[in-house]
Amino acid sequence: MANVVVWAVWIVAAFSCLASGIAVVTFTNPFFSALALIGNLASLAVLYLLLSAEFVAAGQVLVYAGAVMVMFLFVTAYLGGRADAPWAGGPSWQQFGAVLAAGAILVEVIVVIGLKAGGRLSHEAKIDAGFGSPHRIGRVFLTDHLLAFEITSIVLLVAAVGSVILGAHSRRPPTTGELIHEGEVRAGP
Amino acid sequence: MIVAAWICLVAPLAAALLITLLGTRISRLAAAYISTTSVLGAFAAAVFVFAKLWSEAPSARSHPSTAWEWLTAGSFHVGLRILVDPLSVFMMLIVTGVGFLIVAYSIGYMEGDEEERRYFAYMALFVFSMLLLVQAGNLVILLAGWGLVGLSSYLLIGFWHDRPAAVSAAKKAFIMNAVGDATMALAFFLLIQHRQTLNFPDAFAVGPGHSWLVNLVALGLLGGAVAKSAQLPLQTWLPDAMEGPTPVSALIHAATMVTAGVYLIVRTHAVFEQAPHVQELAAGLGAGTLLMAGLIALVQTDIKRVIAYSTMSQIGYMFVGAGVGAYANAEFHLLTHAFFKALLFLAAGLVIHALAGEQDIRKMGGVGRLMPVTRITFLIGSLALVGVPPFAGFFSKDPIIAATMTRGWYGYILFAAALIGTFLTGLYAFRLFLIVFPGEPSPFVREHLMRGSHAAGMEGAHAREAPGSHDHEVHEHSGEGPFSNEHSGEGPFSMTAPVLVLAVLSVVGGWIQWGPFWDPVSKWLDPVAPPLAVPTDTQEALASFFAVLLGLAGIGVAWLIYGTRRWRVPRLAFSQRVLEHKFYFDEAYYFAFYRPAVFLAKGLGRWIEGPIIGGSVRELANAVREAGLDTSRLQTGLVRTYALAIAASLAVITIVFVAVR
Amino acid sequence: MRGPDIAWYLAVAAFLFATGVLGVLLRRSPLIVLLSLEIMLNGGNLALIAFSRLHGESSGQIFALAVMAVAAAEVVVGLGLIVAIAQKRLDLDVDKLSFLRG
Repeated sequence: MANVVVWAVWIVAAFSCLASGIAVVTFTNPFFSALALIGNLASLAVLYLLLSAEFVAAGQVLVYAGAVMVMFLFVTAYLGGRADAPWAGGPSWQQFGAVLAAGAILVEVIVVIGLKAGGRLSHEAKIDAGFGSPHRIGRVFLTDHLLAFEITSIVLLVAAVGSVILGAHSRRPPTTGELIHEGEVRAGP
Repeated sequence: MIVAAWICLVAPLAAALLITLLGTRISRLAAAYISTTSVLGAFAAAVFVFAKLWSEAPSARSHPSTAWEWLTAGSFHVGLRILVDPLSVFMMLIVTGVGFLIVAYSIGYMEGDEEERRYFAYMALFVFSMLLLVQAGNLVILLAGWGLVGLSSYLLIGFWHDRPAAVSAAKKAFIMNAVGDATMALAFFLLIQHRQTLNFPDAFAVGPGHSWLVNLVALGLLGGAVAKSAQLPLQTWLPDAMEGPTPVSALIHAATMVTAGVYLIVRTHAVFEQAPHVQELAAGLGAGTLLMAGLIALVQTDIKRVIAYSTMSQIGYMFVGAGVGAYANAEFHLLTHAFFKALLFLAAGLVIHALAGEQDIRKMGGVGRLMPVTRITFLIGSLALVGVPPFAGFFSKDPIIAATMTRGWYGYILFAAALIGTFLTGLYAFRLFLIVFPGEPSPFVREHLMRGSHAAGMEGAHAREAPGSHDHEVHEHSGEGPFSNEHSGEGPFSMTAPVLVLAVLSVVGGWIQWGPFWDPVSKWLDPVAPPLAVPTDTQEALASFFAVLLGLAGIGVAWLIYGTRRWRVPRLAFSQRVLEHKFYFDEAYYFAFYRPAVFLAKGLGRWIEGPIIGGSVRELANAVREAGLDTSRLQTGLVRTYALAIAASLAVITIVFVAVR
Repeated sequence: MRGPDIAWYLAVAAFLFATGVLGVLLRRSPLIVLLSLEIMLNGGNLALIAFSRLHGESSGQIFALAVMAVAAAEVVVGLGLIVAIAQKRLDLDVDKLSFLRG
């Protein structure tokens, strides 16, 4: 009985994950793409729960869907939706090559999963109840993987500084090159 | 004594360097005096060495001295080695003595020339080079001196470098000498391989049983001697070398450098004696040259060229002497020849200088009346050249002719050639004298000499003949003071004095040896180069008799044709043409060597240099540039293309990882 | 509680990754490219969590958390770039933003 429930949940979550992923890539309006991504993140959180990674699932929803995507939506609202031809442009072989590359990667991974690693993927380890708990994660973070923890924090600091600098309005007067480019000054007759 | 020998060698070099370094900071005259004094100092040192050497026993007269050794290859050592022995001292005296007189003469001759300092530096360099050659203690240093005299000759022939004729003459001389240098170098290589040394005299003892080797070495040496001394077949450069100033012709192309070939043969006579056929070849070439040059001299119209061919002919005599083994006689003739040939050249220089550079004898005539001192000295020189007793040539030429009689039937052929040569010598020498000096002054001469003007003699600048409106300017002159500028046509004292000294030497210079009666020269050179055979007294007498007879006959014929004009010059158009074209040697060499060389060079330039060598470099550069351009096309600036590349690489790497597992 | 094998999760992850790759390579707006990049990262995260469950190790989840943090940082900087580009009145088109060409 429980098995069927798990399967059902899995199928729904997986399906919505895949569908929202495709939606992100195919919608022309970036606003809708961002919303689809939020759906994607939510379904992924469900899948994490099925894999006993409770803290990661919570973090996914809080950080990713809660903060990152909100930021995305802010910027999209600020910039407006540019809905011009999304697929055109680039060299002619770009699209064909892209499909080929992506398809190749997908096929290779599926083949590997199907064929070789069959033996190694079937023995799930026995886990205890606190496997994905915040308690467990916190302890591992602060003992085994302390270095990763610290470095990640530095990365976040650097990103924050960088974004401030990037977003700051420049105070210096624009150079002639900038003015020409912005159409304020004409370059030549 | 060794120190004096080194001083003798180094003094002219120091003068040349000094003049070069001081450049225009010293006056032109100062440069001239530096050069002249250095050669005089070298002469004094040479006299000192001679005196010291004389005081020793004959068998002890050989003193090598090595400054330092710079080359050691296995058992082969080469150093800066000079050798003081009778032969080298003999040559040193000639080079520095006659050299001093000629350089002193140049002070007056080259006065007023813009580049006089360069001239005197080159002259000092030449004296140094020649001394290096004759004082060399091993073949390497001799070769160094050999090359340096070739260089000095090139520099001095082409001294007036804005004249194309002079420049090409200099190149011709140098290139033909280079042929000789090459054969000599090959000979040296063979000697090094066989004897492990090039020092005198160890290098020469090749030993029996190596006839190929010794013949090749002798041929190589002969090649060098022939080139340097302008003998058949490498003689065509000497007449062209007359483009240089007259003192240069006197010193380099009469008295010293061209005699270096004779010196070489005498010095290396041990090798030649082991290769008798090559030695006979040397004599044969000498005989051929002396005949050919004598014939060509009969039709020359340039005063210097007649004397140049005379030089070629007389060196032919020296080669004959060395070729039959009469080394001391050849050297003695070298000595007397230096005296009278330099005299002839310098006296001719006086005439040229007085006539503002004119050298064509057809324009001259009656110069003697206005330049009596020059006439006397030229006459003395010519008589010495023909070998009329008691002048110098008689004592030195006849023993050579006598020595040819000691060599069997081949020697008699040489004998005949030498005698014909004496007849020709009388003929051409007095043809020259009689055309230029006696009689009424020609219009050209009158124009230049009666006014007593002396333009700074740039030779070859043919003065234009003014249309005959100068008769009213002709005035008789009375005074015949030989040294005064204004009244006669004689040159300045600085030029006439060396000529007078040489005239005296041409008279008495031969008196230091007379055939069978007393022979200090032969005795002096005996330890170094003992003669192969000594002619008997009868042979000596016969040779002298016939030589003098034929010489006087030649003078007589010349007198009849050119003096009294009783006979006419025979009209033999064909032989006249052949002689005027110098037996077509220049044309032959042009077709045999020059044209093929140019053809080859052009062909190589077009087919190999251009496409292959230049092309490969060019193509390499182009290929690199193309590669760079092509590579830069990867940088499209499009992010998506880069991302696609990454994705594709990822796909490939995945396969690799999976396959490897 | 039985559910699908880990292999199924991995297949989903691969599919997500491939979708993200397609989006990065085929869309012109940098905003959508960033979103596709997020998809790829999430695909990777899913695979990490799956393997973490398979081996019973928490390292996978730690890794996934670090990835999330880095992804957040990357999005911040990326959006800052896009905003700066928009402020310079340039077209938001990756094909036109090719000034660094050779």
